[in-house]
Amino acid sequence: MEKYVVLKKKDFNDFIAKLALMQTVVAPVKKGKKSFAFQEVTTGKEIALQYIPTILPPKKYFMPQQETIMKFNKAKFEWTPVLEYNEITIFGVHTCDLAGIQCLNMVFTNKPKDINYIVRKDKITIIGFECNAYCDEFASCAAMDNHIPNGGYDLFFTELNDSFIIHVNTLMGEKIIEEISLFSKANDDNLKELEELRTKKREIFKNELNTKHSDLKAVFENSFNSKVWKDIGAKCVACGNCTNVCPTCYCFDIKDEMNLDFNTGSRIRVWDSCQNEDFAKVAGGESFREERANRQKHRYMRKFNYPVDKFSRYFCTGCGRCTRTCMAQIKLKETVNALAEEKK
Amino acid sequence: MKKVKVAFFDFTCCEGCQLQVANMGETLLDVLDLIDVVEFREVMSEKSSTYDVAIVEGSITTHHAIERIKKIRKTAKVLIAFGSCAAIGGINGMKNNFDLTDIREYVYQKDAKHFDTIPTRAVHQVVPVDYFVPGCPVYIPEFVKVLKSALMGIAYNVPDNAVCVECKLNENECMYDKGIACMGPVTRAGCNSWCINNGNICYGCRGIVSNPAEKGQKDIMEKYNISLEWIENKINMYNKPRELGELKTNE
Repeated sequence: MEKYVVLKKKDFNDFIAKLALMQTVVAPVKKGKKSFAFQEVTTGKEIALQYIPTILPPKKYFMPQQETIMKFNKAKFEWTPVLEYNEITIFGVHTCDLAGIQCLNMVFTNKPKDINYIVRKDKITIIGFECNAYCDEFASCAAMDNHIPNGGYDLFFTELNDSFIIHVNTLMGEKIIEEISLFSKANDDNLKELEELRTKKREIFKNELNTKHSDLKAVFENSFNSKVWKDIGAKCVACGNCTNVCPTCYCFDIKDEMNLDFNTGSRIRVWDSCQNEDFAKVAGGESFREERANRQKHRYMRKFNYPVDKFSRYFCTGCGRCTRTCMAQIKLKETVNALAEEKK
Repeated sequence: MKKVKVAFFDFTCCEGCQLQVANMGETLLDVLDLIDVVEFREVMSEKSSTYDVAIVEGSITTHHAIERIKKIRKTAKVLIAFGSCAAIGGINGMKNNFDLTDIREYVYQKDAKHFDTIPTRAVHQVVPVDYFVPGCPVYIPEFVKVLKSALMGIAYNVPDNAVCVECKLNENECMYDKGIACMGPVTRAGCNSWCINNGNICYGCRGIVSNPAEKGQKDIMEKYNISLEWIENKINMYNKPRELGELKTNE
C-alpha cells in the first residue's frame, strides 16, 4: 500500500536541521535576482521552497562538472581507477528534474555501464518537491508529461495548506521518516486535500505545445531539412548555455593531466557540449557540425528523436532551462511549434 | 633530467603577468624544480645569452622591439606569448584606434619626435609563436598547463569556446540577468570565468572566439539594449591588433 505521512509546516526547519545531521543536505538556494542553485544547507530557512529551475540541474551531483576517474604512474606503468562520491541528500527536486535524473540513469546504467555514475547515484537520497503552479512561462512540463510526480525519488513533498504531505517511496525514505520523528500518518483529510490539489493542477497545467506528446517524435523525424534550423542557427552564438543547463545532456570529454613531477597524473572527465566549436572537430581540422544550425538541430534531435528509439522516452523534461538561459532568445516552445506548424 | 633553461622577456606591457609568476606560491617551487630560470628582470639581475624557452610578455610597438623579438626567436627553441599584450596585442592595441602621428604627439608632446612608434602588434604578428597564454593577467593554472605542454613537447590549444561555458559550470548568476553587459559570449574560455566568479564582468582579455556569430550577437545586443559602440569599445580594449592580420615581418 502507498505510504503517506504528514509534516507540519512549523516543523519544517527542524526537519532540515535534523536531516543535515544525518548527512550533507543540498537544496535550492536563492542566488541573485532570479537565479537559484542547489547548495549545501543546514537549516530550512536557507531553502527557497518557491523557486524556478536552478541554474544547473541536480545532474551536477550525479556527474560532476569535473571528476577524476583515474590516477596513473608512468614509471611504474600503473593506473588506478578513482571513484569520487559523497553521501548526500538532495532536497526539493521538482518533477522535471526527477525526470532528468531518470533519463541519466537510463543512459549510464545501459551498456557500457558507467561504474562511477552508478556508485555515486546509490549514495544520493532524493527528496522531491511538487510544483503546485507554473514556475514561469518557459516551462513545458505538461507537454512532456512531467508535471505530476512519476517516481524517481525516495520521498516526495507536496505543500498543502498548513502541512506537507509526503509520499514515502523507498526504504531509504522510510529510514529518514523513522529516524526523524516529526512525522505523523496521513489521515483521510490530508489525502483528500492532495487529491484536490492534483485535480486543480490538471486544470492549471495544459499542454504548452501545439502538438500531442505522442506526435512529437514524428515532428522531429520529418524535420531534418526544415528552414527552422537555419533560423535558429543564425541566432545561436554557440555559448553552450543550453546544453550545460540541460538536465539530460550528458556529453563529456576526457583529459589527461600530468603532474609537475612528469611521472604521476590524473585522468579527468569534464562536461562537454555539442554547441562548442571543437566538439565535432576531428584530426585535420574538419568539423562534422561546423554550422550552428546543425549543432542546434543535433541538440533538439537528442531530446525529441534519437532517445525515443534508444530508450523509448523523450529526453526533454520541459524544465525550460535552455530557453531561460539562451543568450539569443532561442525558445524551445517556439522551435517545436514552428516545426510542427511546417509539417501541417 | 637536465633542467630546461627558461628566460622571461618583456616588451610593451605592465609586467603584471610576470608578477603573477612571482606570486605563484608553492607551485612556483615545483616549477623551479623543472626549469632553470636564466633571465627574469623582475626578480633577478642575472642575464643569459642562451636559453631553450623564451617567455615573452608585452606587445610589439617599436622598430627596435621588432629587432629584439626576432633575436629572441632565433635563440629560443620554444617561444611562449605570455599575457594578453603578447598573445593578442592587449590594452596597448587601443593606440591603433588613432592616427599614429596624432597619438604620439598627444602622449609625448614636444618630445614626440624622439619616440619611435608603430601600430601595436601581438608577438605572433611579428615572429612565429609556439604557445599562447592569453589573459590580463595570465591565469596561473593555465600558464602551468602551457609550461607542462611545452616541456613535454605537446600542443596546447587555447579553448575556442565562450567563457559562458566555464561560467555556467561554475553556476554563476548570468551578468545579463543582473542587467549588466558582459563579454563572456564572445571571449575565449580557459580562465575558469575568473572575473565573473569574483563579481566582475568579462572584459574580453583572452581574445575573441574564432567563429563569433555576428547575427546572433546583434540579437543579443537588441535584447539587452546594448549599443554597437559599447561592444566595439569593449572588443577594441584588448583586441584591436587582430585587425592587422597574421604574421608581418616587412617593417
